Amino acid sequence: MGELCQAEIAIIGAGPAGMAAAIRLTQAGIRPVVFDMGNAPGGQIYRQLDVPVIGETLSGTDYYRGRDLLGDFSRADIDYRPRSQVWWGQCESDGVSLGVVDAAGVSRWHVKRMLLATGSMERSWPFPGWQLPGSMQAGAAQILFKEGGLVPEASPVLAGSGPLLYLLAWQYCRAGCAPQRILDTTPASRYRLPLRYLRGAWQGRHYLVKGARMMLALKRAGVPIHHGVEALEATGKHRVERVHYYWRGHWHHQDTSLVLTHFGVVPEPQLGRAIGIPYDWHEGQQCFLPERNRSLQARTRVWVAGDGGGIGGALNAEREGRLAALSMLTIPTNDVADRKRERRRLEQRRATDLAVRPLLEAMFRLPSHWLSEQPDTTLVCRCECVSLGELRRAIEQGAAGPNQLKAFTRCGMGPCQGRECGESVTRLLSTVQALPPQEIGYYQVRPPVQALSLGELAATATDA
Amino acid sequence: MFQRIAESSVIDGVDIQLDGEICRVPITLSVAAAVLFIKGDADYRRHVDGHARAPFCLMGCCHECLITIDGEPNRRGCLVSVAEGMSIERQLGGSQDDG
Ligand SMILES: Cc1cc2nc3c(=O)[nH]c(=O)nc-3n(C[C@H](O)[C@H](O)[C@H](O)COP(=O)(O)OP(=O)(O)OC[C@H]3O[C@@H](n4cnc5c(N)ncnc54)[C@H](O)[C@@H]3O)c2cc1C
Repeated sequence: MGELCQAEIAIIGAGPAGMAAAIRLTQAGIRPVVFDMGNAPGGQIYRQLDVPVIGETLSGTDYYRGRDLLGDFSRADIDYRPRSQVWWGQCESDGVSLGVVDAAGVSRWHVKRMLLATGSMERSWPFPGWQLPGSMQAGAAQILFKEGGLVPEASPVLAGSGPLLYLLAWQYCRAGCAPQRILDTTPASRYRLPLRYLRGAWQGRHYLVKGARMMLALKRAGVPIHHGVEALEATGKHRVERVHYYWRGHWHHQDTSLVLTHFGVVPEPQLGRAIGIPYDWHEGQQCFLPERNRSLQARTRVWVAGDGGGIGGALNAEREGRLAALSMLTIPTNDVADRKRERRRLEQRRATDLAVRPLLEAMFRLPSHWLSEQPDTTLVCRCECVSLGELRRAIEQGAAGPNQLKAFTRCGMGPCQGRECGESVTRLLSTVQALPPQEIGYYQVRPPVQALSLGELAATATDA
Repeated sequence: MFQRIAESSVIDGVDIQLDGEICRVPITLSVAAAVLFIKGDADYRRHVDGHARAPFCLMGCCHECLITIDGEPNRRGCLVSVAEGMSIERQLGGSQDDG
């Protein structure tokens, strides 16, 4: 794999968590290496903010808030490596070994400590027709908007649940391409939940006011919002031509060429799992989260910060990055008391910011039986084209866990390596076997966690 | 199926070759975004089962945007930025992505 590169600290991911951690480390005299798959720093929320394409009136203010962080990151002395994918990792007694692939090829790294700041991905949520061209995730649409100022030519239908769905709808309205309608799977009654979570509601008033303003703006723009949509389907010969939705006791139909869905975000699991961090099911967030202690440490030499450790939003990710950096600093210095104070302040702010989460989780809670209520023909594994019916039959024939189901059906064996079907499989087994997801578990994740080309694979094989 | 909004800032363009045809696209786009911009999603890629597929997540997870870039097949088009003179070929054969 070529020569062995060394560093004191490696950070994987240059979103708010990774950037904040790197900046804090440089302040303590350490020059971390930062690997990120993207072309520029920023992660998901601050994508393209280094050379912004859309203005603040279209993006909303949260986007431009990231400019200070990006500025500090670009000025600090950091070994920042864009277009670099970490495809392999292994904990060792004296550090962590990493496999990295970039334009120059594959390289092998040994670092003393590592921070995973790999962020989140959109939750995969199967419904009939979700694999057709014309069905995309709302985050994908937002990426097109940030990267190129691209918006749909024909008015789309937005469906699903959660803040990102409304953010995109609001951005599209501002850009003059209001959605045809919003199919919100959240029942209307849930939007009254803040009355029951007063503390969380007060701490999170910023989010709630923003959300309420967006909904009002959408209503003013004449975008119909249907709360409490219970089922969804996309149909068309070679691409999406219509969406069908079950609402208020009936199926409704709407012609459209584009349906953009969003069902929340979950931690990107691949690298954390591949290096052996244990993951636990979180009831509130309805997904697996890595186990970490108060210092955000997950293994002896590994820390996890940001949405990759649990969904907390961009500001929380930044704070976690800084907290993790403080905890990673081992060299004793004479500013111990200052650091303690800094740490306490960060922990307090973080607690305040996270106080709204139980409310948001309760508001946007997804129906856990959704998948088991879909028709048998619904694809669960998009890569290997494994349908819900095939999975059900394999379970009946004795496939008792995710790995067995994989071996029986090839579910999760395609190029995405189970990212898009992993938690669906856990959910399905949990419903069918009436066991909690924690007991069902998840696929065994093995490297490479990022796809390598044949040439790259050959290069790793010659001297591995 | 996607268009640029008038309010977006002026960005430089680059010339790429999409299935042999020269097209000018904004330099900030990924390969996947560029193909959606030029051709739409109907013929982005053909899957192993013969059906049409198109990018779904655009952030490196779903692998639906696999495409041939400068002769190398099965690249994730969403992770690669367009560059002057880049050659892009859509994988419309239907059996290539099972790697
Ligand atoms: C598609 C999408 C859009 C979003 N849009 C918004 C928004 O508009 N507003 C908002 O408030 N929140 C948004 N969020 C939530 C937002 O992601 C978080 O609040 C915040 O970005 C989390 O920061 P982070 O640093 O933890 O992770 P991220 O910002 O996700 O950064 C993680 C980085 O790690 C990189 N990475 C992951 N794995 C590897 C690897 N193996 N090798 C190399 N690099 C790797 C990724 O490419 C990415 O750049 C969005 C989330 C998603 C998934």
